[in-house]
Amino acid sequence: MTHKYLNFLNMLDGDGLWYYRTLIRLQLQELSMESATADDSIVRLTDVEKEYSLGGTVTALDGVGLSLSEGSYTAVMGPSGSGKSTLLNLIGALDTPTAGQVSIDGTDIAGLSETERAKVRGTMIGFVFQTFNLMPRLNARENVELPLVFAGWDTNRRTERAESLLDRVGLGNRMDHMPQELSGGQRQRVAIARALATDPAIVLADEPTGNVDTETGDEIMSLLADTHDRGNTILLVTHERRIAEHADSIVHVRDGRREDTEMIGGAR
Amino acid sequence: MDWREGVRIAVRAIAGHRLRSALTIAGIVIGIATVVAFASFGASVQTDVVGEFQDTSASEVYVISGSGVFSGAGPPDGGGTLTAPVITTHDVDRIDRVEGVQAVIPRGTVPIASLAYGNETVSQVGLTATTPNALEDAMIEGRPFEMGTNEIVINEAAAGQFEENVTVGSTIEITRQEATSFTVVGITSGARGGLSGFGPAGPEFYVPVDPHYQTAQRSPSVGVDQRAYAQVTVVAEAGQVRGVNDRIGTYINTESDATRLAGENGNITVQSTEDVVGGIEDVLEDITRLVTGIGVLALLVGAFGIANIMLVSVTERTKEIGIMKSIGATNREILSLFISESALLGIAGAVIGIPLGLAVGYGGAVYADVGFAIPVDWVALALVMGIVIGVVAGVYPAWRAARVDPIEALRYE
Repeated sequence: MTHKYLNFLNMLDGDGLWYYRTLIRLQLQELSMESATADDSIVRLTDVEKEYSLGGTVTALDGVGLSLSEGSYTAVMGPSGSGKSTLLNLIGALDTPTAGQVSIDGTDIAGLSETERAKVRGTMIGFVFQTFNLMPRLNARENVELPLVFAGWDTNRRTERAESLLDRVGLGNRMDHMPQELSGGQRQRVAIARALATDPAIVLADEPTGNVDTETGDEIMSLLADTHDRGNTILLVTHERRIAEHADSIVHVRDGRREDTEMIGGAR
Repeated sequence: MDWREGVRIAVRAIAGHRLRSALTIAGIVIGIATVVAFASFGASVQTDVVGEFQDTSASEVYVISGSGVFSGAGPPDGGGTLTAPVITTHDVDRIDRVEGVQAVIPRGTVPIASLAYGNETVSQVGLTATTPNALEDAMIEGRPFEMGTNEIVINEAAAGQFEENVTVGSTIEITRQEATSFTVVGITSGARGGLSGFGPAGPEFYVPVDPHYQTAQRSPSVGVDQRAYAQVTVVAEAGQVRGVNDRIGTYINTESDATRLAGENGNITVQSTEDVVGGIEDVLEDITRLVTGIGVLALLVGAFGIANIMLVSVTERTKEIGIMKSIGATNREILSLFISESALLGIAGAVIGIPLGLAVGYGGAVYADVGFAIPVDWVALALVMGIVIGVVAGVYPAWRAARVDPIEALRYE
């Protein structure tokens, strides 16, 4: 049932996308059991467990619940090994939970095939990585266009979209540059533009300032803030409190369990 | 994903490793070039030689002392070790009376000491003695010689080899035991009955067998000395070649002077043009098959080369695969990206190998002095082979790429 809607989603893009997605989400909520309690969550984790078998069984997440409302800006903080990477992989539809539900925009990713999860990643999620992860042989514009290639956009609309996003992140004059010709900060801007290309339901930023100096890090954080101001939902994963404080709220994770949630009063 | 985008990304990947890609496709290039070179050379020879036979002498049957043409021994024109002048005038007369025979053209070589035109002497080991009917349809200028005269007909190569061109009416001095003057009465494009082999003819001088051809044998049938030839060409009437071939064969094997004179170790071959063409084609086919086999081996090696480098490429680009998966690439799209890349390597091998092969084939054709022909079917096949090899070699590496776990891949450095 869900799959059919997803396929339909893939045919859509651009401005119509948000409208249809909202429409479909409402329909999905009517149709599917787990979404019976309608709310405005764009991401909802319910009792999520994740175990890995590395020799013995390692529990990375142990009964985590999380709900991110549309337009929110949330930081996840925790020491390494706390399970925050696993959390990110699950929300990013890169992985499936051992138990519990991970629903993104009304779709439970645990029930999806690999191909369908790829489509979820391509249309509903935008990744920003610590190491930028640009395609080395594609220039800035082509990097931003790449998700649109996989989403099936035609060339002209792709280019138009990529150029407007690169303009927005302040790289209007660097579009034809290759990643290795750009500074770390510039690369991360390209990565943010790429994450926004398909107008995803949520942007996942994994230590986005981890590989740049403090000043550049501030620039990137203000770009993310700007993105948030435009209505995008952002989930930021970091171990740096200074960075996490850019968000509206901080979710603390430790040993695979969710601890307290801290509201950043008055912060942006 | 639009396939053109896939190809574009694959081209980028290949262009990113120029030297490596070039070395990878070398095997394919060599394999395809080998196959195309020999296919084009074979096609050239076939078109040239076989075409010539089929055009001018479809109705001829050759009676040859020795093992014949392209059936295992000796060059066609009498140089074989078993070749001997054993076909007597009696045999020629009898063959002439065989049903379906239009004409019989005997042919023999008259050895000479020297040949001069004006003050110029050229080296020429012999004259070709034949009958006027060998020349009737092949005159460029003048007329055939008449029997019993000192008239001579020369071919264009012979006419052009002197500083001052020989023309009809010129006189040529030929010395055997003594000097004799011959009057040039005609210029021919080439007398019938010669198995000319490859390439253009050298200088040829044609004289009537009577009185100039003096090689003789005592005919066992009639008991007198007669002119005897190593080769006789029979022109069959339209549609009669096969029958004439069989009937002459029967005569030769049963009653002929030739068989009796050749003795136990001798051998008289009766061959129609079809047999000769068939023989040439068989030889060409054998060569083509052998070389194609070698080419296929090179292609196989090339395929392993591509597969190997694609596996390396998949490992190297694990992170890129992870990135593409994180931004929405499906396994199938990753698979098709890598197969496109591998197929492009194969196509590139074919695109480089085909002209290279044609160039080598052209060189061969020029060297062998035959007209060049492009074997269109082989070129098309080579292109298809390139694509198929690329795709097949890429399947396993691409499958590995598609199965890369994006989480692991994104962590990969």
